[in-house]
Amino acid sequence: MVGVKGWFRIRGVSLQSLAFSLQRLTGIILLIYLVAHLSYLTSIRLGEEVYTAFISLTVRPETLPLDSLLFLVIFYHAFNGLRVVLNEFGILYEYRRALLYILAALAVICWLWSTYVMYIYVMG
Amino acid sequence: MEEVIFNIRRFNGINSYWQRFKVPVKRGMTLLEGLYYIKENLDGSLAFRASCRMGICGSCAVRVNGKPMLACETQILNLKAKKLDIEPLDNMRVLKDLIVDFDDFFKKHEAVKPYLIRDDVFYSKPVELLQTPKELKEYYNFTLCIKCGSCYSMCPAASTRGDYLGPATITAAYRFCADSRDKGKNERLEAVSGTNGVWRCHFAAECSEVCPKKIEPAKAVQKMRKSAAGYMIKKIFR
Amino acid sequence: MVEKVKHDVVIVGAGLAGLRAAIAAAEKSRKISIALIAKTYPIRCHSTCAEGGTAAVLRPEEGDSFDLHAWDTVKGADFLADQDAVEFFVREMPKEILLLDNWGCPWSRREDGKIAQRAFGGHSFNRTVFAADRTGFHEVHTLYERSLIYPNIVRYDEHFVTNLFIENGRIKGVSAIRLKTGDLIIFEAKAVIFATGGAGRLYGFTTYSHQVTADGLAIAYRAGVPLKDMEFIQFHPTGLVPSGILMSEACRGEGGYLRNKYGERFMEKYAPQKMELAPRDVVARAMWQEILEGRGIESEHGPYIALDLTHLGEEKIEERLPLIREAAKKFVGVDPVEELIPVRPVAHYTMGGIHTNVKCETPVKGFYAAGECACVSVHGANRLGSNSTAECLVFGRVAGEQAAEFALKTDFKEIKKEEAEAEEKRIFDEFLGRSGDENPYDIKRELNKVMEKHFWIFRTGDEMKEGIKKIKQLKERYKNIEIVDKRRGFNTDLLQSMEIGFMLDVAEVVAIGAYTRTESRGAHYRLDYPNRDDKNWLKHTLAYYTPEGPKLDYIPVTITRWEPVERKY
Repeated sequence: MVGVKGWFRIRGVSLQSLAFSLQRLTGIILLIYLVAHLSYLTSIRLGEEVYTAFISLTVRPETLPLDSLLFLVIFYHAFNGLRVVLNEFGILYEYRRALLYILAALAVICWLWSTYVMYIYVMG
Repeated sequence: MEEVIFNIRRFNGINSYWQRFKVPVKRGMTLLEGLYYIKENLDGSLAFRASCRMGICGSCAVRVNGKPMLACETQILNLKAKKLDIEPLDNMRVLKDLIVDFDDFFKKHEAVKPYLIRDDVFYSKPVELLQTPKELKEYYNFTLCIKCGSCYSMCPAASTRGDYLGPATITAAYRFCADSRDKGKNERLEAVSGTNGVWRCHFAAECSEVCPKKIEPAKAVQKMRKSAAGYMIKKIFR
Repeated sequence: MVEKVKHDVVIVGAGLAGLRAAIAAAEKSRKISIALIAKTYPIRCHSTCAEGGTAAVLRPEEGDSFDLHAWDTVKGADFLADQDAVEFFVREMPKEILLLDNWGCPWSRREDGKIAQRAFGGHSFNRTVFAADRTGFHEVHTLYERSLIYPNIVRYDEHFVTNLFIENGRIKGVSAIRLKTGDLIIFEAKAVIFATGGAGRLYGFTTYSHQVTADGLAIAYRAGVPLKDMEFIQFHPTGLVPSGILMSEACRGEGGYLRNKYGERFMEKYAPQKMELAPRDVVARAMWQEILEGRGIESEHGPYIALDLTHLGEEKIEERLPLIREAAKKFVGVDPVEELIPVRPVAHYTMGGIHTNVKCETPVKGFYAAGECACVSVHGANRLGSNSTAECLVFGRVAGEQAAEFALKTDFKEIKKEEAEAEEKRIFDEFLGRSGDENPYDIKRELNKVMEKHFWIFRTGDEMKEGIKKIKQLKERYKNIEIVDKRRGFNTDLLQSMEIGFMLDVAEVVAIGAYTRTESRGAHYRLDYPNRDDKNWLKHTLAYYTPEGPKLDYIPVTITRWEPVERKY
């Protein structure tokens, strides 16, 4: 039993393992983000000034790249998760490598498109 | 005649340290022959497991540059590296140098009842059980598991759950469930549906990539998962 | 500090014979406790390397018969087999195949669902039952998995047995090193079964695993139990060059050809009727003759003969010889579907072994032996293919049952503390702690060279005399070795050095037995005595241990039905 570092092996592993490690990493990031996001939104119960202060801190042109990264994390976790669900019930198991490439590509496309839309919306 | 450096992670019961050996290599020389060369000429205390040298006993699995493989089947020059980092298998306690503790591995194997279960055959009066070649092909591939431990070494689920059954064990369970002569499917599904069973697998699928006999343990685990899901749902309604 | 455990039956060696003996003893009585001791985990045994199949008379309605199988075996043994044992053996075999089927062994099947059988060398009916070409592997796993059912079988994996304790002709138990910790454990037992395998690693070019080092043979021999017919070592015709990995006889059984430098199927000259499916000693001698006369194909690893499977077709090879294809591709880079496989005769089986009778009993009460390490004798001077896995199953069962019955009727005999401590001192203080200037692995390499030069397929009196002298010199040098690893935990250095000592003792027995037998019979062929001499030599060699070397004695062969005739194929 090596512990958590067994989830993030890089040496001598195949693409399957790397996809798994990324899934775990994005999952952890999303968990942290979810907690942060909820606590931000529910800060409205402490008053409108507190809420506005929080929002103005994080919704700025300078933090947009971080948001874009967040999109990548979300799309990767979603599409890869779809692949995992299919494969875990034995569906398309023989085509797992092809599925990996296709869904990763879809994730990247969605990410690029959503970043573009976000910039248009925020920057005008 | 080339020289390749074997950088081996050693353990003498107290300390773990790396030690380098220079091994002269010619075409066709396997990693196991390299290890024997070191033991017989450079350092007799190097400890490793080896037996059949033809890839059927499963003793000699080690990690080379991070990847588990059978030392007897690996040609040194095919690895195309001047320095090889050789370590024992992961996820198992190291006893000495490249030797790890397999006792747990075999105990888990016993726990899934890896034997044919039938109540109509008797020791004193054996009978021939019929099986067509097609039925044999259904499960034959999964019988080839040599229990080398490579899959278990790479499994991330086994890294954080020491009691996870492991791909090799679940493959053994599937091998019997898919055997047309067997009648004990439910008992094995009970054994693999626990918290240390199929549900710990999250499809890293590295086991199928490193299996030296290419028996696809990930496929067996997923098939057991499907059956286990059906079994557990039926259990609720019984 | 020495630990003691007590078990009714102790089985040393967990290969086919050992596992089958454990199951048989457990089935005999659920009340006896059985210890299964092996120096590796059971599924790492050498029996997994068996490839071709297991012979049994399954289809008497299709033309096979017990008499035919027995006759094939006796003729194949060059009439040195004990015919009462052979007749017993062939009648017990079909049950074993069906038992394995009931326990889950994935036998290859015919279209109608029944167990398939194939042709094999020396058998006059296609009676070899097989599981692809990994028969031994599947049988071992099936037996191992079956043995998990019995709660009274206690396994002691990775325990290396070092000695026997015998008092007044009765067995008391064994001592073993627990490899994980280096502790010495004493097993007190009512009955002991040795199923420790043959002596193949005496040779360098051999099909054997690294761990087959004549341990049980040497321990029994030193304890006073005689070894029988040790000079008969089988040379399998087709060993892959240069590793020695076995290319199963099934290759020839499925229709493969042997070709020399000129592409000729030279077997026509030596065995015109059976061709490549003559018994192994005939084919090995034929191949070696071709090589000696310059018709072998030259290569950087010496001359070889070509094994031709190209006419069988990919489908047949994938279905019946998948392991052969994998091994040829992986270890030599040759695909048998399209190319010729380089092979040469290789040391493969020890016909001789610990002297036992049909009930697996040795001259020591409570001490039994089964499998390759025993010599009943069923194989005589040459073993037919697919008869060894069969022998292990049948006599493994017999040994298990006999040992269980004996244990139910007797009591333990105490192994005293002084004996245990003497053994501990012998191994760890005197052997491990000694300092010297010889490297034990150099001695092993020299021994391999001596055996290959002086005791190979064609032997002469002068060469063998020279060889005996060299072995004695190696034994002297062995007294001066130093073991580099002094730690007790998992000391593989100590293990392998002890194994080399065992091999030296057994090598001496093989050498002196071969030199004294002035005839050619089966696998023992002498250029100075090329004919079989039934008048003087229709007898078994027994070798007893003395400090000066083996002392030989002879016992007659049991002939019940078939008088020796000329052996032509």
